[in-house]
Amino acid sequence: MTSTSILAGTRAAPESAPPAAGRRRRRRGGLNTPRLLWLTVPSLVWFAVFSVGPLVAMFVIATLRWKGLIYDPSYVGTENIRHVFDDQLFHDALRNSLVQVAVVIPVMIPLAFMLGYHLSTKPRGYRVLSILYFSPGLISISVTGMIFYGVLSPNGGANGLLNSVGLDSLAHSWLADPSTALPSLIAIDLWRGIGWTAVLFASRLASVPGDVIEAARIDGAGRFRIIWQITFPMVKDYVRTLTMLQFLWTLFTSAALILLLTKGGPGTSSTTLSYLVYEKAFSQSDLGYSQVVGVVLLLIGIAGMLLIRALLRSPLEKIR
Amino acid sequence: MSVHTPGHTPGHARDPRAGRSAGTARLARRSRRAGAGLIATPLSWLYALLLAAPLYYLVVSALKTNIEIFNHPFALPAHWLWANFRTAWQTADLGQALLNSLLISVVAIVLTLGLAMPAAFALARLDNRLSRLVTGTFSVGFLIPPFAALIPTVILAIKLHMFYTREFQMLFLPASALPLSVLLLTQFMRTVPPALVESAALDGAGNWRLLVNVFIPIAMPGVVSVAILQLLTFWNEYLFSLTITGTAPDIRTAQVALPTLVSDATDFGVLTAGTVLTLLPVYVAYSLASRRMQEALTAGAVKG
Repeated sequence: MTSTSILAGTRAAPESAPPAAGRRRRRRGGLNTPRLLWLTVPSLVWFAVFSVGPLVAMFVIATLRWKGLIYDPSYVGTENIRHVFDDQLFHDALRNSLVQVAVVIPVMIPLAFMLGYHLSTKPRGYRVLSILYFSPGLISISVTGMIFYGVLSPNGGANGLLNSVGLDSLAHSWLADPSTALPSLIAIDLWRGIGWTAVLFASRLASVPGDVIEAARIDGAGRFRIIWQITFPMVKDYVRTLTMLQFLWTLFTSAALILLLTKGGPGTSSTTLSYLVYEKAFSQSDLGYSQVVGVVLLLIGIAGMLLIRALLRSPLEKIR
Repeated sequence: MSVHTPGHTPGHARDPRAGRSAGTARLARRSRRAGAGLIATPLSWLYALLLAAPLYYLVVSALKTNIEIFNHPFALPAHWLWANFRTAWQTADLGQALLNSLLISVVAIVLTLGLAMPAAFALARLDNRLSRLVTGTFSVGFLIPPFAALIPTVILAIKLHMFYTREFQMLFLPASALPLSVLLLTQFMRTVPPALVESAALDGAGNWRLLVNVFIPIAMPGVVSVAILQLLTFWNEYLFSLTITGTAPDIRTAQVALPTLVSDATDFGVLTAGTVLTLLPVYVAYSLASRRMQEALTAGAVKG
């Protein structure tokens, strides 16, 4: 990738251009000058207005007293921050968010990687498997919400299944019980995430040379060792990228599913930071509070990414 | 999960007997399959079953009454209650909602490609400090989840007098899709051979003709991938549609209309029928172009 671009760059550089008729040369020079970069300006402006602007505005709103969109805001400095950090609700949400990512990511990534490896060996029926694993990637969050609204309701599929195998005692209202509301949401994250991530790993592993794995097998390496000691180091950078993405998605986007299924309850048992941002802004009309939480969420996101990068840094990279 | 050791021994034990006639390729496959056998296979199918069960439950429930859903959750419907679909369609005004989703997605994708293709064209052909800075900006932008700035975006919509309109989503969705689109398209456009650019330039082609006649045709697989990937993202978008476009029946999207079927006395048959109807367009598209779609969606996550 980089090599082609460098090649293209030097090929088109003015000094390498053969001396040609004036008009033609000027035209060629005009084709590949830095002025070409003007073509990126529309998309940069678009991105600045609709993405960067709101992101910056978040930091400003965090310093304002703003009780609902119809009122005028006033500057209060760090008062919102004090208010947020003194609030038990915030600490509950912080705890729930940390529990959520601390369970989802360490469970999802290793399982998905092993499943992805399994898929990449093309076992019998792998086409059916990969279509099923792929499915959650097609399903929107609101459809996912509605599916599990049905499955987890007191008279829904989950309890029906438990009753039919004689485990009636385990059946209860999953989303209305404080002890199972957050675990249910975590289970849904895993339900949709593992297979989808496995398909992504499988497509990446398809480009790993098969003879390396074959050689290891002939040397008597077991499957577990082949996965973790041979294949994994070869695609570590990709695993790291996907881990970061899954981490960010899990941390940031839980609001939608919570809004559809539990509204953060019962009590605060399933309120995450992501949902708190939404709830404070739209239900409780405290925009300053909401955006302080938004900033905290962003900082946790950055910290988590740095941590994942450090944890999944391959020793090879340091040498290079 | 669990250590897997004896899996491939049967394949190896047969090794001498299989002889040359079997062919080494087939043997390798055999041992691979045998190796896959003991633990991974049952677990992979167990997970597939866990994925399929809610989807099966969804489809059979769509044809039942509440009582039947509660009493026989996994049985096939005694009477196929097609009326659920009509009720869902009318109650949630799904026809209009699907139309709104389609309109927003199509306008947004045209805008996305219109903005991203020239940018990718420039970034693919230049390699200097400034162009690397632009690429870097988009790489960071790709990592920021759009949700982070939901509330300021709502305020922006209000300030632009576009709150509760479909038009704001048409303008906003491309912005959230731009980083990934530009990065992917740049990669595809880098595959254009420099010699081709040179000869086109010698023929007097300007940048515009170069983009339209050389770069876009060669990068077409990438353009299609980006279009599929982002169309699906736009079609499935929920939280921004809910808060910015809102729930008014004439402008709301399908994803927003669907949850309105939930109430204090939800008819689960109707709700699941509505869910099936909302999901149908995506699955129809998937069945028509499954390979292309799978390629597009995996490409979207490959870029980091």
